[in-house]
Amino acid sequence: METPDIDFKELWASQNTEQPNLADLLQRVDRYKKSRRRHTVLANLSLSITAAFILFVWYYYQPQLVTTKVGIVFIIAAIALYIIAINKSRSLFRQADESNNNQQYLNNLLEIKAKQQFIETTVLNSYFALLSFGIALYMYEYASHMTMVGAAVTYGITGIWILLNWFYLRPLQIRKQQARLNGLIDKLKSMQDQLNQE
Amino acid sequence: MMIKNGILVNWTISSQPNKMPFEEIYKTYWQKVFRVCMGYANDYDLAKDMAQEAFIIVWQQLPKFRNEADIGTWIYRIATNNCLRQVERQKRFPKAALPLNLEEDKQVNVEPQLQLLYRFISELSETERIIISLELENAKQSAIAQIVGLSEANTRVKIHRIKEKLTQKFKEHGNA
Repeated sequence: METPDIDFKELWASQNTEQPNLADLLQRVDRYKKSRRRHTVLANLSLSITAAFILFVWYYYQPQLVTTKVGIVFIIAAIALYIIAINKSRSLFRQADESNNNQQYLNNLLEIKAKQQFIETTVLNSYFALLSFGIALYMYEYASHMTMVGAAVTYGITGIWILLNWFYLRPLQIRKQQARLNGLIDKLKSMQDQLNQE
Repeated sequence: MMIKNGILVNWTISSQPNKMPFEEIYKTYWQKVFRVCMGYANDYDLAKDMAQEAFIIVWQQLPKFRNEADIGTWIYRIATNNCLRQVERQKRFPKAALPLNLEEDKQVNVEPQLQLLYRFISELSETERIIISLELENAKQSAIAQIVGLSEANTRVKIHRIKEKLTQKFKEHGNA
């Protein structure tokens, strides 16, 4: 059977859809802005509360040793670093200029993804290192009041917990992030290749 | 406008000459942007969502739009970049070439031929889908080149090849 030549353009133009009214669309903009704000606020709030609690402990129990204070500073630094970096990594996306051409836009997205990959890996490593070190220092004052056995058990358990974090949870989280980002990067690259093919 | 001594001295024009208000853009380009999204996604609801997202971006970016570019080209760039961006939401992104799936059955009066066209377009690569959608939308080839970021010659070749592919697919389908 011979198929007659089809007028693609005419066929294409026959597809229409009801236009959502403008008020609905603007409402969506509003909802979107609110949900984005809520998301950021929630993420930052939980970490900020932790930091506030640690500061409260510092103020209320008045640690005697400098190790405790340094420990607290490290823990708070870890939390602050995490908050700042994650927010920065998320906001990178807003830098992609949608009014570029597709080729430039794909380049943009790829650059952003590479930056995100760097930030997320480096920051996660630093976060775990600072946190572990901070906790170890922080505990020293309280452990020094314990019996030898008590102190050994306390440090032993904390040590195991830190090792678990470093050798199991940290690589796991990094792998998960990398897999997600690598998948995206591959897909973006393949789209770029499509354009570069002759 | 002010006239002094018979001479026109102050010709006030609106501060943003030729600038289309958003409502007008929305009215003029909605169907076009929707069809381009539909060509990319081959999913009615998703395409509608994507088109709305694109207009949200247009609305946000409109103050930055400078008149040196053609507004249509500018809008299509935003819409097609938003299509490419869908890669981040792969989970809700439908697999290409779901043959005439149930989703589409609930659309009103979609001709089988049109469904076929969408299906065949969805079997193309992402950037080919964008290029052919713009071409079918009657965008000038020079504009398509500017939207996608290719040379005009290259764009012309690509459009020709994609059309050949589509015709081939229709022929094969007719023979099946």
